[in-house]
Amino acid sequence: MDLILYLLAVPFVAGLVCAVIPKKQRLIAELLALAGSIAVFLMTFIIFRTNPVNFQLFGLELFRIDNFNRFLVLFIALFGILVILYSTKFFPKTDKFSISSFYYTSVLWSISAALGCVLANNLILMLVFWGFLGLTLYVLIQSNSPDSKDAAKKTFIIVGGSDCLMILGIAIIWVLTGTLQMDKIFLSTADSTLALTAFLCLAIGAFAKAGAMPFHTWIPDMAPVTPAPVIALLPASLDKLLGIYLLARISLNLFSLSLPLTAFLMFIGAVTIIAAVFMAMIQHDLKKLLSYHAVSQVGYMILGLATGNPVGIAGGIFHMLNNAIYKSCFFLCGGSIEKKTGTTDLDKLGALAGKAGMPLTFAAFFIASMSISGVPPFNGFVSKWMIYQGLITQFQNASPKFQIIALVCLVAAMFGSALTLASFMKLIHAIFFAQKKNEQKGEVNWQMWLPQLLLAGLCIVFGVFAFALPLKYFIIPSLSAFNLQLSGNLIGFWQPELATMLLIACIIIGIIIFLASFSLGSVIKRHKIFIGGEVLPENQRVTGVDFYQTIKEIKIFDQTYALAQKKVFDIYDWGKAIVNAFASALALMHTGNMHIYLAMSIMGLTILLYVFLGK
Amino acid sequence: MLPLFIIIPLAGAFIISVTGKYSRKVSYTITWLVTFVLMVLSLKLLIKGGFTSYNIGGWAPPLGINLVADGLSILILVIINTIVFVAANYSIGYIGKYTSKWTYFALYLVMLASMNAAVLTGDLFNLLIWIEVGGVASYALVAFGTRAEELEASFKYAVLNTVGLLFILMGVCLLYAYTSTLNMADMAQILAQKPDNKLISFVIVLFLIGAGMKSAIVPFHAWLPDAHSSAPSPISALLSGVLVKSLGIYTLLRVMFNVFGITLLISKTFLIMGTASIILGGILAVYQNDIKRMLAYSTISQIGYIFFALGLGTPLGYFAALFHLVNHAYAKALMFMTAGAVVNAADDIRDIREMGGFGKKMPVTSITSIIGSMSISGIPPFGGFWSKLLIIVAAIQAGQYMGAFIAVIISIITLSYYLKLQKHVFFGELKSKWAGIKEAPVSMCVSMIVLAAVCIGLGLLYVPALKAIVLDPAVNVLINGSSYADAVMK
Repeated sequence: MDLILYLLAVPFVAGLVCAVIPKKQRLIAELLALAGSIAVFLMTFIIFRTNPVNFQLFGLELFRIDNFNRFLVLFIALFGILVILYSTKFFPKTDKFSISSFYYTSVLWSISAALGCVLANNLILMLVFWGFLGLTLYVLIQSNSPDSKDAAKKTFIIVGGSDCLMILGIAIIWVLTGTLQMDKIFLSTADSTLALTAFLCLAIGAFAKAGAMPFHTWIPDMAPVTPAPVIALLPASLDKLLGIYLLARISLNLFSLSLPLTAFLMFIGAVTIIAAVFMAMIQHDLKKLLSYHAVSQVGYMILGLATGNPVGIAGGIFHMLNNAIYKSCFFLCGGSIEKKTGTTDLDKLGALAGKAGMPLTFAAFFIASMSISGVPPFNGFVSKWMIYQGLITQFQNASPKFQIIALVCLVAAMFGSALTLASFMKLIHAIFFAQKKNEQKGEVNWQMWLPQLLLAGLCIVFGVFAFALPLKYFIIPSLSAFNLQLSGNLIGFWQPELATMLLIACIIIGIIIFLASFSLGSVIKRHKIFIGGEVLPENQRVTGVDFYQTIKEIKIFDQTYALAQKKVFDIYDWGKAIVNAFASALALMHTGNMHIYLAMSIMGLTILLYVFLGK
Repeated sequence: MLPLFIIIPLAGAFIISVTGKYSRKVSYTITWLVTFVLMVLSLKLLIKGGFTSYNIGGWAPPLGINLVADGLSILILVIINTIVFVAANYSIGYIGKYTSKWTYFALYLVMLASMNAAVLTGDLFNLLIWIEVGGVASYALVAFGTRAEELEASFKYAVLNTVGLLFILMGVCLLYAYTSTLNMADMAQILAQKPDNKLISFVIVLFLIGAGMKSAIVPFHAWLPDAHSSAPSPISALLSGVLVKSLGIYTLLRVMFNVFGITLLISKTFLIMGTASIILGGILAVYQNDIKRMLAYSTISQIGYIFFALGLGTPLGYFAALFHLVNHAYAKALMFMTAGAVVNAADDIRDIREMGGFGKKMPVTSITSIIGSMSISGIPPFGGFWSKLLIIVAAIQAGQYMGAFIAVIISIITLSYYLKLQKHVFFGELKSKWAGIKEAPVSMCVSMIVLAAVCIGLGLLYVPALKAIVLDPAVNVLINGSSYADAVMK
């Protein structure tokens, strides 16, 4: 118990101290934040080694450690350290990147709140931490740029607004079950509309935080104007972990889902995958493109959880972890690129892969790209593979009607994966291979590349040794928190170690053939880019930006894209339009004319008299 | 101890109006001292708890006028005196630009006396008088700037409130004719023995209108946005934070719960009017670009939440309502103070679209304003979150699903207009014409910091030990409506 309190208090107090340290002494704040986060990491390690147990405080069982949340705390703390380390060099002392004095405070408080949220065993307590995280996100988005005010507002309205709905859900749960303790609640959504409403309210909260459609619109909006480490910390990792954590808790622990609801969740998952990846393909901004992928990947996790069978759920949870790893790696790399080149516009980037460019960032980015696209033997492949297996298992066991849904979702997931690969081809080409535009300024400081490479290294390790490490220690044990067990008969067979050996062997053979043919006298020919005989003017260059222009120009797509650009699909803008319509109608009554006001009062009087004396 | 709450501020007002003309310092010192002493006294009363009464001139209740401090009175009394003290402290920095400062402080203390007296008095006619006194002081204070817009607002405020007050007067007369007494406790006991009839229903309607006008509940709300936005900011803080609650909501609660006894019909009326206020205030607030007007509409919406929770008719609902009342009092006072600091810095411009980037220049104002906004919008862990949570839980428990849903939706809208305010005022690029703005004077900053700290700490009222001292006695007054009369007439 004490340990959990310390765990929450250490970053909180460190954050408080950081807030009062004057701006000129930023180094002290940085060191303090770093020390605080490392201390937290060490403590989470102890928690990870603790057996599942509940903790009492004020006579309520406020916290618990179980197999699901104890590995999450470990990773929350890890992301905290990496982002703080990265931030120390990302924000220079002056110019437009200089930050408010609340930056480290907010980062540390975010870590504290995220830890509290996953460890909480009381719904209200969880909501407190959950809501506080929205506030720190709001502050962090605006930590260094004045352009971010609109995006910050939108983010907080969607995230904070969904918290209000969660209150409604929690209130219904309390009235239905008489308890707020998460491990004592069990409801079935098939039984009553109230339980269904409660589930949907909580699910909306989870969707908004994780960024599933249709509550995702804040992520692409905030990404271009938010400092990269902030995106890497919150929307890319902590928010994803928490959102999917909550979804897993409610759909597997708190509620038992009816069949139509499962189908609905799968539908949301599939739509999120496909729609977001299509949006990602046409983006011109590095951070915005990545942010659409951050949305798209959530679809896989929802699909995995919605399958309801052990493989799929394990896959969903593993994908949540993997996604947090490679997605924060992406945003950190994106931040490095932005810092060195001063832009995130793909049109203006190019040729950063070489020695004069950013080789380490390139390596990290490349590995993360392969991982997110599900290329073996990286971690993204393993978790996607498990999700596919979950869907296939579901297909085998389901009724004919449901079989179609499972099949459609499976196709959507695979297709989405292919499109992800496609859009990362574009991204990598545009950033690292396209013709050079800018002066190369070399690699970033070690404080910045180390976190990137560490995360990329995790991508490899979690892929190659998937069964030996992450699945064995983190994911498979966590299934017991939902009273599930991974049975032996998996449909596919994947041995990552062996496969990796084979892959490496192939690559080595390839290199040998290449070298051999080279030494045998073949010559490397270099040609200029073929442009149909036209003369390319000096100021024009070929970038990767228009790779998928043809998709944009297909008949149906072009209109859909145009509508999406106008934000027709944005739930936030719908809400805004509705409220404004009501407001302008009501404003007609409030002109400042006292006679109207008096008339309103008299009308009120008449109605009251009728009500009280009418009978 | 009870008469001190009325005597001290009245005496202070008298001294200021005699000496204030000659020395500005005297009015500052006296106001500060008076409000400080009263705050300490009210806190002492809170800690002592229980039930206190005082017979003026030694005349026992049915004949003489008595002052009564029970749980509900004490709760409101503490809110009044703490906020009035903080606002007085704030006024000292704020009032600099106005002339004839002594009038301001004299009226200020009269308003304080009237609010204290209205909350303490046990006599219905006396209550009416004090409401009127408080009203007159506040009409004058709203018009204190004496520009056209302020005079117009004050005029509307005066007319509509006087109309409301006439209804109360009529109600009091009818009750006097019917029961031959003006003491509220006595009247409650007499009414309890008489059969129900249409006269009582009629009087209830009269009180609903009169006190409803004071509490600015839809459809009697229209005067509030003008009056609250035109007054000097510390007065706006008092009007929205305290006056509406002490003269409006308190009167309604006392009369409905302790004199007439709450009925299902009254509860339903509260519920419906509350819901209407929530929606109307919330939606119109989004539409505003005038910073103080937005806050004023927000007050209508939040008062709606209080009435909505009262109308649920369950103990949890009453608790949530009073909790929300406390939270809103402090948070809205804070918001008006920060708005005052901003408007002061921006040369009396109140349109938020012309501002921007003030956060860098005014860190204290900006941070306290965010804290106040978050508290009213119900973001954890601030005080407002807990009361909003309880209101929604109480609504679900009482089976008011639609009402709970509306409360949730409007609380999203609440968040959105407070974020709109933050976005336009404190964030974004600093326009070149505001390059010279400065942080508010120290006394204003201190007041804002104190209230911000209170807003963060109010969540603690949920902790059983504090709840038992502060909120439970007040809730019990509402749950056992007849206990008031029994205690007074004992």
